[in-house]
Amino acid sequence: MSIIRCCFESVELPEFMDTMASKCTDPGCCCGCCSALRPRYKRLVDNIFPVNAEDGLVKSNMEKLTFYSLSSPEKLDRIGEYLYQKAAKDIHRKRYKLVEIAMEAMDLLLMACHAQTLNLFVESFLKMVQKLMEDSNANLQILATNSFVKFANIEEDTPSYHRRYDFFISKFSSMCHGNNDNIELRDSIRMAGIRGLQGVIRKTVSDDLVENIWEKQHMEKIVPSLLFNMQVDQTTSLSLTEESTPSSPPVLAESVLRELVSRASFTHIKSVLRPLLTHLDRHDLWSSNHFAIHTFRIVMISIQPQYSYTVVETLMQHLDQNMKSSPRTKTSLAVVLSKIIAIAAGESVGPSALDIINNLLTHLRTSTLSIQNEVNYADELQYQEALINALGEFANHHPDYQKIEIMLFIMNTVPDLSKTSKGDQMLQNILLKSLLKVGVQYRTISFEKAFPVSFLQPLLRMARAPHIPTRLIVMQIFQALLDRHQNQSVLSAVSVKNYATLSLENPSRSDIIFTHKYGSNIKQALLDALSLDDSAEAISSAYNTAALMIAEMCCGETIQEFLLFILGIQQIAIANSELTYNHKCHLHATAVALLALLGRVTGVNNIMEYCDKIIESRQEEAEYLLPGFDDTEKNDIDSNSLNLPHLMIDKLALAECLQNAGMENNRIQTGAPYSLNQLDQSNQRHSWVEPRGSIAEFNNYADSDSVNSSPIPQRKSLVIELNFDAMKRALAEPTEASKREAREKQQQLVKTFRDANFEDLMRRTEPKHEVIQNRLNDLFNSLAVERQITQEHKNHQSNKPIYEKHFPELFYY
Amino acid sequence: MEDYKFLFKVVLVGNAGVGKTCLVRRFTQGLFPPGQGATIGVDFMIKTVEVEGEKIKLQIWDTAGQERFRSITQSYYRSAHALILVYDISCQPTFDCLPDWLREIQEYANSKVLKILVGTADTFETMILERNKFLCFVIQGNKTDRDDREIPSAIGEDFAKQNGMYFLETSAKEADNVERLFYEIAAELIEQARSKEMPRSETSGGGISNLANKSNYLGQNEELDERYCDGQPSGKWMMFIPKTELDAIMVLSL
Repeated sequence: MSIIRCCFESVELPEFMDTMASKCTDPGCCCGCCSALRPRYKRLVDNIFPVNAEDGLVKSNMEKLTFYSLSSPEKLDRIGEYLYQKAAKDIHRKRYKLVEIAMEAMDLLLMACHAQTLNLFVESFLKMVQKLMEDSNANLQILATNSFVKFANIEEDTPSYHRRYDFFISKFSSMCHGNNDNIELRDSIRMAGIRGLQGVIRKTVSDDLVENIWEKQHMEKIVPSLLFNMQVDQTTSLSLTEESTPSSPPVLAESVLRELVSRASFTHIKSVLRPLLTHLDRHDLWSSNHFAIHTFRIVMISIQPQYSYTVVETLMQHLDQNMKSSPRTKTSLAVVLSKIIAIAAGESVGPSALDIINNLLTHLRTSTLSIQNEVNYADELQYQEALINALGEFANHHPDYQKIEIMLFIMNTVPDLSKTSKGDQMLQNILLKSLLKVGVQYRTISFEKAFPVSFLQPLLRMARAPHIPTRLIVMQIFQALLDRHQNQSVLSAVSVKNYATLSLENPSRSDIIFTHKYGSNIKQALLDALSLDDSAEAISSAYNTAALMIAEMCCGETIQEFLLFILGIQQIAIANSELTYNHKCHLHATAVALLALLGRVTGVNNIMEYCDKIIESRQEEAEYLLPGFDDTEKNDIDSNSLNLPHLMIDKLALAECLQNAGMENNRIQTGAPYSLNQLDQSNQRHSWVEPRGSIAEFNNYADSDSVNSSPIPQRKSLVIELNFDAMKRALAEPTEASKREAREKQQQLVKTFRDANFEDLMRRTEPKHEVIQNRLNDLFNSLAVERQITQEHKNHQSNKPIYEKHFPELFYY
Repeated sequence: MEDYKFLFKVVLVGNAGVGKTCLVRRFTQGLFPPGQGATIGVDFMIKTVEVEGEKIKLQIWDTAGQERFRSITQSYYRSAHALILVYDISCQPTFDCLPDWLREIQEYANSKVLKILVGTADTFETMILERNKFLCFVIQGNKTDRDDREIPSAIGEDFAKQNGMYFLETSAKEADNVERLFYEIAAELIEQARSKEMPRSETSGGGISNLANKSNYLGQNEELDERYCDGQPSGKWMMFIPKTELDAIMVLSL
C-alpha cells in the first residue's frame, strides 16, 4: 500500500530514495532495504535522525514531520509510539545522542500539537520520559526532566483519566536526593528533580481528575525532598548562601515549596504540614531552629492568608505531641511559634484567637506544674519564656479591644490567691508575666477601657499577694497600663527631685470619672501592698505605680483623694507598730516623694512650698525620712524620732494649702486618710458570706438613701489616728456609741441575709433596687450639672450596677 | 526491545551500612563498589530479568538506612511489590533491629492490606528476609567471613519463618546468591500475579454485571488497579481495563 502511495507522491520520491540510500549505512535501521514498504509516518520519523549522531536533529525533516502530524493528527499516537520504540532501542545500545534527538523531536511535536490531539501523544511521550529516567545515565535523566517540565507547562483541556505520576514523583524525589561525587552534576540532578516535582505539582494540582497530589504518599515524598534541598543551604557554610544564584537547588526548592503551599487549600494544607513537621523531627532541626523558623516563615508568607491560622494550630498540636520531649525542643517549637504567630494574628479573630491563647496558657501551666521535679530547670524556664513571648507576639498583632479581652482571659486563668502551694505561686507568676507581656503591648487611651471592672478587681487582689515577685509583676502590669506618657522610667525610683522631664497632660473627663469610681480601690490596694513588705524593691515598684497614677489622673478634682492617699501612707508608718524601722522610713520617704510629685503635677504652689518646707526640715533633722537614704545607716537611729509632728505631712496644713489655692478642700478636712485593708472599701471583697465584706456592702445600702450626706461615719470612726489633731477630733466626737449602733445594725442585716430564705430576700431587696436605680439615674443626671467632690466619693459606691452588688462573684468570670 | 511482561517494584530496607546499595549495584551493574558512601534519601535502579521465558522489569528502590531519612523512605514502602529486609550477619545490632523494621513495614503495609481487602490470604507483598554478608572490611572470601559471623544461619532462618518471609544469605562482594535473590523474587511475584490472573480469565465470559458494579469499582483504591496495570504487558494495558474491573468485581463479591 505504501508503495502505491509513494508512486502517487512523486514529489517525495527522490527524497525518499536519498533517505533510503543513507539509511542503509546505518546499522540501527532495521529494514532499510525495504523501507519502501514502511508507512509514511515511520519514514518521516526515520528521516529526522542524521547520518552522523553528532550532527543533531535534521531540522528540515523535522519540519516535515511536524507538518505531517499537524495535518493528520490521528497519526500522532503512532508517531509517538514509533519514536519511543526507536529511543528505547537506542538507550539499550547506549547511543545517547540519538536518544537526545528523539527526545528533542518529541518535545517539538508536543509543542506543535493542539491541545485536543495531545492526549494520544502524551502517552508515548510520558513513556519516553520514564524510559529515559529509568536509565542510570544522569544526563538522560536531566534531559527527560526538562522535557517533562515542558510538558507540565502545557495546559491541557481534555482530562486524562488513566495517566499516573506515581513513578515520576518517586523518581523526582529520588533525584532530589542525588548524591553524585561531582558537585556540579549532583546539583544539576537535584535541580532537575526539584523542577520535575514542580512540574508534577503544576500538572496535577489544578486537575481534579488525575492523581490527587495532596495524598499522603505523594506529599511524604515531595515535601521532605524539597526540605532536604533547602536545608543544604543551611548546613553548608554561610558563604555559600551569599553566592547562591536563583538557580541553586536550595533557592529553587524554596520557590517550589512556596508554590506548593500557596496552592494548598484548607483541607490540603495539613498534608503539607505533616510531612514537614516529621522531616524537622527526623532531621533534628528543632534544637537549632534557624531552619525551622525559616521554613515556617516561608509557609506563613506563601499560604493563602485565610488558612494561616491552620499552621499555627498544627504547630500547636505538634507541641502537644512533644509534651514529653526535651525542653530544648519545646523551646525551639515555642520560639518558632512566636515568630510565625504574628503573621497569623491578623487573620484570627474572636474565639479562634482565644483558643490559641488558651492553648498557650495550658502549655504554660503544664510546664510550670512539672517544673519542680524537672532536672533541667533552666531549660524549662526558657521554654516558658518562649511561650510567653509567643503570647506577647500574638497579642501584639491584635487590635487593642481584643488585647483587653485577652488580658481578661488570662486574668481569669490565674489561680486564686488562696492557693499557696509553690506550684500555684509559680503559676501565678508565670501567668501574670504573660499578662504583663500583653499589657505592655496595649496602648492605653482611656482608663475605663483599659481597666474593666472584671479585670481590675482580680488584679487588685493580686496586688495584695504576700509573695513579693507576684506583687512586683502586678505593679508592672499597672505601670504598663497606666503609663500613657512614657513616664515610667522617670518615676521608677523614689525621689523628691524636680522631674523636669515629666510629660503631662490633663486627664480627660472619662479619666476623672474612672478615678472617682475606681481610683480609691487602686490606692487602697497600693497602700496594702506598701505595708506588706519592707523590701526596697517592692516599695519602689508600688511607688512607681502610685506616681504614675498621680501623673496621669491627678487634677483639681481628684487632688484631695490623692492627698488622703499620701496621708494614708504616712499614717501606716506612724500607727502600725508591727512594721520594721526600715519599712517606716521607706514609707515616710515614699509619702513625701509622692507629695512633691503631686505638687509638681497639679501645679498648686502652696502644696509645693509646703512640701519643700517638710523636705528641708527633714534634711536638717531627719534625713532618714527622705528618699535615697542608705538602708544600713538607719539602724542606729532612735525609733522615737520617727514620729516628730513637725516633720510629718499635716492634713490640716494641706487643707489650708488647697483653700489658699482656691480649691475645694471639704473632703480633705472631713475625710479620713486611706488606711489598711481592714477598712477596705470592699469593692474588692465581694463574697457576702464573708462578714467583713458584707458589712461594707450593707453599709452602702444603708447609706444609699442619704447620698448627699458627707463622709461615711463608720469609715471615719474606725480610723486609727494617733497624731494630735486626730486625737483631738476623736475626743470631740462621741464615735463609740454610733459605731456600736452601726455595728448592731450591720449584724442584724447580715443575720437576716444569712438566715432568711431566698424568696424572702428577693422580696426584701427588690424594691430597694428600684430605689437605688432611680437614685442612680437622678445622680447621674445631677452629676452632669454639678459635680462636687464630696458627693462623688459617695457616688462611686452606689454607682456600681445592681447585679454586681448582689451577685458579685457570679459576674466575675 | 522494550517488551516486558511484568513490572515489579522492589524496595530494600534495613539499617544503615548493612550493604543494601552494594547488593543493588552488584545485581544491576555487576560491580562491587568499595567505599560506597551512605545513601541519601532513595536511590533508583532498574533491571530487566528473564524468568520462565518472560521478561520482568524490576524497579529497585534502594532506601537510605539512616534514621533521619526514615520519613521519606517510608513513603516508598507503600507501593512496593516486594520488600527486601537486609541485615549484616557480622553485626548483631542490625539483626536486633529487624522486629522494628517489621513493625514499620507492617504499619505501612497495614493500611494497604486493609484497602485492598482481597480474599487472598497472602497479600500481594512478598517479604524476603535477606542476609547480606557485609564484606567491606574482609580481605578474603567466605572463610574469613565466617570467623566474623555473629548470627548463625539458623537464627536468621527461624526469624524469617516466624514472620512468614523468605530467607537467603548473600554476599555482594563475592556475588553469592545475589542473582538468585532477585530471580526468586521475580519468580515468586510472577506466580502471585498469575494466581490473580487465573480466576480472572475464568470469569471473563460473564461480564454483564459490569455496569452495575462499575461505580463500586471506581470507588476502589487506586493501588488496586495500579498494581494490575503494572503487571500488564506495558503496551496494551488499556485493553485490560475491563478485565481489571471484572477482577475487582470478583474481589468485591468475595
